[in-house]
Amino acid sequence: MSPHRIMVIDDESIVGKMLKAVLEQEGYEVEPFLSAAPALARLKEEKFDVVITDLKMKGIDGMEVLHTVKKESADTKVIMITAFASLDSAVEALRGKVDDFFPKPVKIKDLKACIERLLGA
Amino acid sequence: MKIVHKINLANISVIILIALTGFFAFQNINLVLTKLRFTEIADDLNTSFLEMRLSEKNFFLYGDTSALSEIGSKIDESMTTLESVGPDIIKAIGRENLGELKACLGRYRIEVETLKGKGAQGVEMQAGLRETGQQLREFSDRISRLERIKVNSIISRSKRQLFSSLCFILITAIGLRYMTFFNILRSLKQIKNVVASISQGDFRAIETEIPRDELGTVMTAINAMSMELENREEQIIQSKKLASLGILTAGVAHELGNPLNNISMIAQTYMEVYENLSKEDRIDFMVKIEEETQRIKHIVDNLLDFSRPKKSRNTVADLNGVVLRSFKLVQNMIHVCNVEARLDLAEDLPAVLIDEGQIVEVLINLMTNSLQASSPGARLTVTTSCLPENEFLRITLEDTGKGIPQELLDHVFDPFFTTKGNSGTGLGLFVSYGIVKNHQGTLKVSSKEGVGTCFTIELPVYNPNIKEEA
Repeated sequence: MSPHRIMVIDDESIVGKMLKAVLEQEGYEVEPFLSAAPALARLKEEKFDVVITDLKMKGIDGMEVLHTVKKESADTKVIMITAFASLDSAVEALRGKVDDFFPKPVKIKDLKACIERLLGA
Repeated sequence: MKIVHKINLANISVIILIALTGFFAFQNINLVLTKLRFTEIADDLNTSFLEMRLSEKNFFLYGDTSALSEIGSKIDESMTTLESVGPDIIKAIGRENLGELKACLGRYRIEVETLKGKGAQGVEMQAGLRETGQQLREFSDRISRLERIKVNSIISRSKRQLFSSLCFILITAIGLRYMTFFNILRSLKQIKNVVASISQGDFRAIETEIPRDELGTVMTAINAMSMELENREEQIIQSKKLASLGILTAGVAHELGNPLNNISMIAQTYMEVYENLSKEDRIDFMVKIEEETQRIKHIVDNLLDFSRPKKSRNTVADLNGVVLRSFKLVQNMIHVCNVEARLDLAEDLPAVLIDEGQIVEVLINLMTNSLQASSPGARLTVTTSCLPENEFLRITLEDTGKGIPQELLDHVFDPFFTTKGNSGTGLGLFVSYGIVKNHQGTLKVSSKEGVGTCFTIELPVYNPNIKEEA
């Protein structure tokens, strides 16, 4: 069975690098992106099982990523992360049928558990 | 007193004065008429006496006794006339004179009667009769003369009264109008001045004594409005401060959130993948943590820079020199962006007292922003000028860049506001604004999307008489 593919979109390069290091050790295949536009282009070429995206980004933001992904590939799971830990954005994100939501700073253990749960379901 | 009452009072006063003057004039005319009537009677008496003397003369010349009878009937006529005008004549010539006149007439009658009895022998009595006749003539003459003098004096008195009343009415009318309108105009002027001050944001009240008229009511209303506006202005400022604080806090939270998350992720990852990391990788992880820590420090430093009043090193400087220096520092960027930059510096500008380093920082900040917003071939014009009255110098930076949308224009000086994504801290304009404000100057922006943006800095001219606070 080929490994699950995970895409990470965050304009902070460290987020992508660190998640790649951790999640590849778990056996996932990880592709980090610094902005949404090339990430969405890549999604058209290949199917990803999980998309982890930052909410607030210049240009295309996390909400738009969520809607595009869900429209084009309904079974791809989307996990939202953001530095805005306010209730408003969480509610809004969840209402848009995001699969899970993590405020920064992200607990990597929780994130890993969440990915396992989403892929197992 | 209310204005309408004042005007009514003025009008009523003038009307009363005119009525009084008319009344006195009427009285005087009546008096003159009475006197004239009396003068006519006096003239009649005079004529009667004259005729008596003529008859008297006829008697002595021709010895005609019928002349004496004529005198008798004339005396009776005169007595009847005197009785008929009784009280009037007493008023005119006095009781004593009337008595004397009557006595004189009586004497004349007796003499005429005596003469009648004696016939032609009475010639020796001629002198006595003539004398009494003469007295009668003089008496009636005197009465006529006296009455004429009185009429004349009444007419001159009326003339004087009319003239002085006219003057008095005129002066009163003008005075009352002037006082009323002077007060109204003065109040209106005060209202105008205070309203002008209020519109300039100086919420003061009308401090002079408030009149008790309609304008006083308006003044009281304006004072109340001024106070209310001042209160509201304070509330608005307060809420703006709170809003700024909110923006600042949210901005700080978000700005710090990213590097904190990075540090946290690096540390968690380090622990997760520790076994598989080479020595170089581990060092690389630590370097990244250090970098993110520096990033946080930079944000905190910037914030402190703004909030803590910096010890400024103010010197008397030539503003054109400072602009020129800043301009040179961005030459390379101007070249790279391929922007047509131009300086238009006014000559003979007065000096300014500034921290040159800080103003250069502001200018570089503004020019960099303009250059980043401009496409190749765009223009950037930096102008210096002296404002009228020589109190402020102005620097304008006008570009033909993409402009700032109207809805964002209000936020460009907010902390952490940026249109440059992660390449901008959102603190440049915020800090620049603070610097210019610390120099007692102003920094303003106007912009039209697609046309360009203009930043205007105004700094006070150096005044050697004002000592800088240490």
